[in-house]
Amino acid sequence: MDNKRTEIRRIIRDTKSLPTLPGVIAKLSSLADNHTISSQEMARVVNTDQVLSAKVLKLVNSAFYGFSGRVSTVSNALILLGVNVVKSLAISSSIFEIMEKNVVGLWEHSMGVAVAANVMAKRLKLPEPEETSTAALLHDIGKVIIKIKLEEDFNKLTAHINDKGLMMIEAERELLETDHAEIGEWLAQTWLLPEKLSEPIACHHNVERSVVHQTKTAVVHVADVLIKASAFGFSGDDVVPRIQPVAWKKLGLTEALLESIIEEVEGKLVEVKNFSLEVQAGDEPKA
Amino acid sequence: MQNIPISLAAPGMVVAREIKTSEDPSSMTLCGKGVKLTESLIDRLRQMGMQSITVEGHPIKMEGEVSLDEMLAALDKRFSRVTDDPLMMKIREMYRRNILRDLGGA
Repeated sequence: MDNKRTEIRRIIRDTKSLPTLPGVIAKLSSLADNHTISSQEMARVVNTDQVLSAKVLKLVNSAFYGFSGRVSTVSNALILLGVNVVKSLAISSSIFEIMEKNVVGLWEHSMGVAVAANVMAKRLKLPEPEETSTAALLHDIGKVIIKIKLEEDFNKLTAHINDKGLMMIEAERELLETDHAEIGEWLAQTWLLPEKLSEPIACHHNVERSVVHQTKTAVVHVADVLIKASAFGFSGDDVVPRIQPVAWKKLGLTEALLESIIEEVEGKLVEVKNFSLEVQAGDEPKA
Repeated sequence: MQNIPISLAAPGMVVAREIKTSEDPSSMTLCGKGVKLTESLIDRLRQMGMQSITVEGHPIKMEGEVSLDEMLAALDKRFSRVTDDPLMMKIREMYRRNILRDLGGA
């Protein structure tokens, strides 16, 4: 017998049914494996798609990475952020194009979590803060797939959440026999995203399960809790989950440190709101 | 005072905090405290890449913005599943203080 979980798995395996990724990304992936290639050559590949490079630059210069306005070329972006991040940015900008229009709340939630993760990673002096931001930006990508590929189920989930006061993930497990973290994990495999991005996506609700990149996963988990506490954007429900003790311990957080992180994040959320409004305004046809 | 995105700035609003080209205190001042915004000034700030500014009072009712009491009630509701967790209760207090500071002083 076929169940919902198998059906969703099949949808994700069938890459043709997924939002298409620009051909440039495939080319970029194959180049990234070749270590002799220079970032200039990679930048040239990205630059062949002008719409894509504009979007990548817009994201790089947003509040998520803290370079606001200072990155003017794709080649700079590649040097500063590395090819994996630029590749993920290219993917996220393609995906978020759908999100911006259909699920503004989720898009804002994801951006908020990316900013919170970036602030936390920098305060804790963790390596690769940009990779962590990118993982945070993509952490709920499974929800986007449910929304665009299983619209009917998405509406049922929303009704179920409202009726019973559930968290999105609980409603998903009840109705879909899987959840957005697992769906996101499948998606990350299909798109060949590196483990440092796929693991936080897969384990942000269960930090203990994360083995190789537990620190990044812990940051995304705590950032998600903070953005839900702040009620910035809308992730699908308004229940604040508890910070998992394993994450708190892994990051060596203290209450005083967390309070000053919250302070800094709250200040930056105004910029994120601004970015979101700008992006939405940019979608409207110009007069 | 209220920190607002530049896209919501309107003529007549009064700048409550000096606007500088960057967070660095030695950077150039674009607009002093107490200046009333005009269309052309807003345009110029936008061109300079300013993201947000702080203005007097609380002129913008943000999307979905509600009264102080409603905001505090919604905060309690969001945290209703974790009232047994001392750390989460402390975090709720941090957010409560933020809400009171931002809205209480308006």
